[in-house]
Amino acid sequence: MFKLERRVYPSRKTSGLVIFLSFLLAFFVTGLIFYFLGVNVVQFYLIIGNVFITPVLFLQAVFRSIPIILSSLGLVVAFRMGFWNIGAEGQIYLGMVAATGIVILHVFYDAIPISLMLIAMGVASFLAGGAWCLIAASLKAKLGVNEVLTTLMLNYIAILFVDYLVYGPWRDPEGWGFALSIPFPDYATLTFGGHPSVAGITISVAVAALVYVLFKYTKLGFVLSVLGKSSEVAKYAGMSVGRATLLGSLISGGIAGLGGFYVVSGMIGRLRPRASPGYGYTAIIVAMLAQLNPWLILPAGIFFGGLLTAGDALQSLLRLPASTITVFQSVIFLCIVLAEFFMRYKVVLKR
Amino acid sequence: MSVTPLVELRGIVKKFPNVVANDHVDFSLMPGEVHALLGENAAGKTTLMNILYGLYHPDEGEIYVKGKKVKIRSPADSIKLGIGMVHQSFRLIPVHTVWENVVLGLKEAGFILNKKKLAETVKKVCEEYGWNIDPNAKVWQLSVGEKQQVELLKLLIRNVDILILDEPTSVLTPQETKNLFKALRIMAEKGKGIILITHKLEEVFEVGDRVTVMRKGKVVATKPTNEVTAEELANLMIGRPVLFKLEKPEVKKGNVVLEAIGLKAMGDRGVLALDDVNLRVHSGEILGIAGVAGNGQEELVEVLAGMRKAHGGRVFIDGEDVTNKGVKYLIEKGVVYIPPESTRWALVREMRLVENVALKLYRSKDFSSTFTINWRKLFEFSKKLIEEYDIAAHSPSILASALSGGNLQKVVLARELSTTRDGKVPKLILAAYPTKGLDVAATEFVQSLLLKYRSLGSAIIFLSEDLEEIMMLSDRVVVMSRGRIAGEFLPTEKTIEEVGMMMVKGSAA
Repeated sequence: MFKLERRVYPSRKTSGLVIFLSFLLAFFVTGLIFYFLGVNVVQFYLIIGNVFITPVLFLQAVFRSIPIILSSLGLVVAFRMGFWNIGAEGQIYLGMVAATGIVILHVFYDAIPISLMLIAMGVASFLAGGAWCLIAASLKAKLGVNEVLTTLMLNYIAILFVDYLVYGPWRDPEGWGFALSIPFPDYATLTFGGHPSVAGITISVAVAALVYVLFKYTKLGFVLSVLGKSSEVAKYAGMSVGRATLLGSLISGGIAGLGGFYVVSGMIGRLRPRASPGYGYTAIIVAMLAQLNPWLILPAGIFFGGLLTAGDALQSLLRLPASTITVFQSVIFLCIVLAEFFMRYKVVLKR
Repeated sequence: MSVTPLVELRGIVKKFPNVVANDHVDFSLMPGEVHALLGENAAGKTTLMNILYGLYHPDEGEIYVKGKKVKIRSPADSIKLGIGMVHQSFRLIPVHTVWENVVLGLKEAGFILNKKKLAETVKKVCEEYGWNIDPNAKVWQLSVGEKQQVELLKLLIRNVDILILDEPTSVLTPQETKNLFKALRIMAEKGKGIILITHKLEEVFEVGDRVTVMRKGKVVATKPTNEVTAEELANLMIGRPVLFKLEKPEVKKGNVVLEAIGLKAMGDRGVLALDDVNLRVHSGEILGIAGVAGNGQEELVEVLAGMRKAHGGRVFIDGEDVTNKGVKYLIEKGVVYIPPESTRWALVREMRLVENVALKLYRSKDFSSTFTINWRKLFEFSKKLIEEYDIAAHSPSILASALSGGNLQKVVLARELSTTRDGKVPKLILAAYPTKGLDVAATEFVQSLLLKYRSLGSAIIFLSEDLEEIMMLSDRVVVMSRGRIAGEFLPTEKTIEEVGMMMVKGSAA
């Protein structure tokens, strides 16, 4: 008979192996699903694989992975401190709002010098995303409200808030009535390095490095890690648990806010409704797949950016619906959850 | 006259990592008797009953129920055999009504509920025991005593004839306790057998027919209650002298380090756990605090460590009022706290040893700058501690979870004792059960450490469940009972037996 036995503590090697195997399993299961739907699975995977070896498509994959990578790096901070932030999506939207707000301030009120525009937009989107996350964090710290619910619900508020802005006060007066903000002037777009992907990946690597340094070398990072493992021990050690929770969630939401900044300033060039197709949710899968390691977030994020890119090709070449990629993502997610289980338990044969 | 026992346990052995919870335990329960199972915390009472209830499986030994040898794999099995247990924390659904809770999981009720018939049965049982519960009341509306009655109701309606009650009176008022005991006597008269887990002596005599005393996983005696005295039971429960003696050097008492005046604090259940406690500890002095578990000792050290709010009274360290100043402030003042179950509450098992050493030290100037931590220095420091305290770890980078309980305790002590204030000797050491669960060698090591810091001039508060240990180590002993100080004396002034009586009776004998 097979029995489950609790592992004392999973080693890094086992975790890595289990995650890798579950990742392979996801490919297999997805293939199985589409096989039974009558899809040519070989072609299916060739189209996906092609994205990662064709330079133009790969650049596109990187392009679309930046908001995923950034919000995922934010989630690393939150998850490591045991704050289950499901609200990266909303924090992305707030980041977009803040960045667009700066542009509008500049264009209509001439409030900010051109040379400072990108920096002001970055700072504003960081603060806005962070503040959005802080709402949930302070509700948790003060009233003990579960952050999973609040962060999730704040997503919908954020999305509708953007709708309100672009259908209402922020609608481009010269936009023929479309629900769009004014287009961003050149100096407000993230194109340094020649291509938005280059600008985006530069920012992503920098943020990944900062998150790495935060947890590896800083006092705050140490407090957050202890808090994530046991808030009781953190309290015992005299750490200021409340302050750390607020600071950590500000950073977490702030980094996701930067993702929103990139969406409006690097990808679209203006604010429009539903500007994120769920980057903030994909980021959760990426964070788990990367095992909360900031460096691994980069390849994992690019993989999911590649899936989004492949989604377009699958639609046109295999006439598959747009939700195909969502199915793939979901299977990967379920496999990771399964992997978490096998990291905690091992199967032993017992008679 | 041979009556078949309801339950017979023979040679039960249950081992957990690092500890033998039950060591060849024999136990029997006759129909119509209330059998008290007496012992200190961690004596193995609850483990034994969980085995009978099917929550644990014994490593060795046999279980007979009503004369038949049985294997109990789960609580479902035990209920089928007529065994029921009322746990310390109730297993009721607060938003549901009494009868819904009672019916939940009741197989006999069938698929379609005959509400009327069930309500009648519930009513009948209530009448038998003189209970006055409205079956349609929601459980959250009930008092604690009534909730307990619902738990009993659940068992009675399933025709359970072997009832296990795990410290049922710990949450009850004296009046509720009286009612419970009355109901237990009625059950016994009907031929049911009742096992009452307790550590309160007076309950044994009030309601028990026989008593079994457990200590450190073993049964030390089983006797009819009319053949023993309270003194005898206290001795059995608290135990005989230990085998080794420590060198205790003469140390001259210094100035008063800690003074607590009229201290009051609430316990986790929201009742007063500390009531008007006055204490004084000098430098170079060990103050031992004795008491049956749950009489306010833990709350006291928590308040002194800043982990629990004082609701009244003042705490002074070196004459400075530090009442409710918080953990961090007290750490900086030189207060060292080794909490109960320190390997759980003072360590993060999923972190590396060096990170556990850093838990408080990361704030120290020696090991950090404004924002960053100097891990290399901490690594070297941890290496030094590993050597100094003889911790079985080959490197500071191993996970704490890879270490045994004794070594983890050493890690806590090493960190706390040598490091809190940049190399200075701790001013006040609060050691709550630091030797609990340790083997003889490790126990001796911890004790000698405490004596060492006593010589160096620390003021020490020492909690232990082992009275002999307290008497041996302490310069002065305080007995706590029901959140108050029941007595204070020098260890030479009283015998262990006298102190044991003071602990269980709550006043000077």
